[in-house]
Amino acid sequence: MRVVAIIVGLALFLIAPQVLPEFRLFQVCLIAATALVVLGQAVVTGFAGQISLAQSAFVGLGGYGAAILTSSWGLPLWIAIPVTAVVVGCVGFVLGQATLRVSGHYLALATMAFSAIVQLALIHWDSLTGGASGMPVPTLQIFGYNFSTGRDLYYIVLPITAVLFVMTANIMHSRFGRGLTALRQSETAAEAMGLDVLRYKAVAFAASGFLGAIGGGLLALLSTYLDPAQFSITQAVYFLAVAVVGGLLSVGGVIASSALFVLLPELLQSFQSYLGLVFALLLLGFVVVRPDGLASVVHIAGFAKGPRSRETP
Amino acid sequence: MSTPLLCIREVAVRFGGIVALDGVSLDVASESIHAVIGPNGAGKSTLLNVVTGLYRPAAGAVSLAGEKIDGRSPHRIGRMGVARTFQNTELFGDMTALENVMVGLDRHHAYGILSGLTHAGSYSSAESAARMEAESLLELVGLSGQMEVKAATLPFGNQRRLEIARALATRPRLLLLDEPAAGLRAAEIEELNRILLKLRAELGLTILVIDHVMPLVMAISDRISVLNFGRKIADGEPEYVRKVPDVIKAYLGDRADHAFGA
Amino acid sequence: MFVQILVSSATAGAVYALIALGFVLIHKGTGVVHFGYGDQVTFGAYLALMAQVLIGLPFGWSIVVALVLSAFLGVFIYVCFMWPLRKAPMLSRIIASLALGTVMREFLRAYMGPNAWPFPFLLSASSISVGGILVVPANLAIVGVAFGVLGLLFLLFEKTVYGKAVIAACDNPTGASIVGIPVSFVFPAIWVIASVLATLAGILIAPVLTLSPDMGLIGIKGFAAAVLGGFNSLPGAVLGGVLLGILETLGGTYVSSALKDMISYGILLIVILARPQGIIGVLTLKKV
Repeated sequence: MRVVAIIVGLALFLIAPQVLPEFRLFQVCLIAATALVVLGQAVVTGFAGQISLAQSAFVGLGGYGAAILTSSWGLPLWIAIPVTAVVVGCVGFVLGQATLRVSGHYLALATMAFSAIVQLALIHWDSLTGGASGMPVPTLQIFGYNFSTGRDLYYIVLPITAVLFVMTANIMHSRFGRGLTALRQSETAAEAMGLDVLRYKAVAFAASGFLGAIGGGLLALLSTYLDPAQFSITQAVYFLAVAVVGGLLSVGGVIASSALFVLLPELLQSFQSYLGLVFALLLLGFVVVRPDGLASVVHIAGFAKGPRSRETP
Repeated sequence: MSTPLLCIREVAVRFGGIVALDGVSLDVASESIHAVIGPNGAGKSTLLNVVTGLYRPAAGAVSLAGEKIDGRSPHRIGRMGVARTFQNTELFGDMTALENVMVGLDRHHAYGILSGLTHAGSYSSAESAARMEAESLLELVGLSGQMEVKAATLPFGNQRRLEIARALATRPRLLLLDEPAAGLRAAEIEELNRILLKLRAELGLTILVIDHVMPLVMAISDRISVLNFGRKIADGEPEYVRKVPDVIKAYLGDRADHAFGA
Repeated sequence: MFVQILVSSATAGAVYALIALGFVLIHKGTGVVHFGYGDQVTFGAYLALMAQVLIGLPFGWSIVVALVLSAFLGVFIYVCFMWPLRKAPMLSRIIASLALGTVMREFLRAYMGPNAWPFPFLLSASSISVGGILVVPANLAIVGVAFGVLGLLFLLFEKTVYGKAVIAACDNPTGASIVGIPVSFVFPAIWVIASVLATLAGILIAPVLTLSPDMGLIGIKGFAAAVLGGFNSLPGAVLGGVLLGILETLGGTYVSSALKDMISYGILLIVILARPQGIIGVLTLKKV
């Protein structure tokens, strides 16, 4: 079964650029990069059960970090992005230490404050970040070849996304994923059994930082310009929304939901100004009526195994 | 008489103005079953929580085979070989019985992050070894037929058994049971007794039991300590303890001792 | 000079205090942390604006209409969102309250446009000199209302049996209803009061801060004030607001005015991590 899926996936991957026009390929890249960010959110809020509104900050740090390393220090972008992501992952680990002290709404506030501070730093540190007017993102260059079109970036973005998704799914199906699920359901019991709950949570935050930063780097490549206004608390709520609609616990749901949110502006056509409202209503609707998100909708349609439901902590 | 496995010395715990434990000392001998009993509010659960690291004592010390426990975090103490069950079962409700037990075994069938990310290397062998050991533990407590059932849907008695299997998965030296017999019917209590005695005999386990239920306590304990109002009021073999006047008074006022019957 | 700074900062402090009050009220009364409260404050102000601009009512009547509508809004929020989620995990409730706020904000952006609207002052906006210090009556009104509301709510909770009933209902709904407290009335009542308070706050704040859909982002400062004050304490909310206002103004004057906001968020982060119980609050040790 798995072999069939891999073959089909590979086939689709190779056929698409022949069949789809440039802007569609660009959209696919956008969906993939967004999905990486949302995967990070799903890891920390879904799998580890920790509310986090820091994702937009991680995306911003990932994008700006890579761009600055390349523009000011001459590091090739294809090195700068992963290096930045590792650093941001460490920042995430430090932020995750906060869970030692607080959880629930205090943690939400702490991560909100973190996002706000990061955005303010991006806006005010003119010399480094170009200030409120933002900064351009250098073009990705590997061995002299410029990757600037959607078609070019497709061959970079999609494999990276696929690999990271597979690795995340693997981890969730390993003893580490088991530990994470355990601590989500009973921290007390998990700790009594020798699990270092704080470390698990901090690592989940680190993973969300790493994934968010890689996604941020890739999104920066696609948008070619960094504007600090993008990295707001509102944006953090947006990423949370996409994750919630995806079901928070389903890797497949993340992809489906990211596709929905990226394609929504197009689906809405002339109602574009209501875009933000539709996002917010989707989030509200799903959290109240269908907490298991899109994944459970797919389950009902009979297509895939449903996600594990979340329980009352 | 070998050195005791668990030493509790002059432990005191205060919650604001309330004194939950007032200088309690007791020793638990290796490979023995030791019960701590007392009326509600005597401080039994508090004592258990001190041993497992949930509370830090205001005074006193706790050591396991000579190593200091008090003040350490619960997960450190868990790794030192102390396992426990909970008064209100704290099972991982949405995970199957097998998975619940495997969480405890994971430490002993470890593989690195790289192996976890790629599912290559020692992943497969470690996972199947863990699975096999989990299955045998479930068989030990009589839950072989319920392995793939979600823990939250198990009947109450089986949940209790799963808690024990899960605690055993961490390969502890000391097993702490928090009111394991509460809510069980007579036949289930006998079954529980059988399992606990088997654990002591076959695994050489040291067991500290907190409970009220006399058919359990009297039947299997090597030694009993009695707490009342945060203090230890008696300590000794079952036959001795049941006759101590203070103990009878603590449970019943000044009434007859037939509560200790059978 | 120093006194002038204090007086000027009183406005910001009072704004934070008003938001914190409603926020703490909802938490104290229903146990819910309403992250969308700042946006509800904005929504309330817009209600008055829409009554005035779209229906053509005179300002005084617009305010009345807005206050009445917000009472209904409070009931609506409770019935449609808070009650269905009463047994849901805390994560869901946090996300729901965030979503509510975002829905309100985005609705305003889509329907009334993203730009600022002028909002009339209730009291005079020009400064008067009182004993050598410049005071703005409109700002003073905010301070006055903040303390007034605090006083009323404080009396309600501490001195009357109704207040105790509310706390009981929040703490232990089953026990409270056994004792005869109409729990299903208490929660919506709290939401109504908090929603009306939000609109009142919005009407007072909007002229000072300029009204736009994003005005609600000031809510996070209100949350910070609540945390400073101990989160479950009404006087603490006001104290926290005042303190935050002073610290912010001092930071803005003596350190850097561009980094003023960063100072507030930094304070919030430090307080949450170092002393979550705030200045007044008490951290309860959970007995297992």
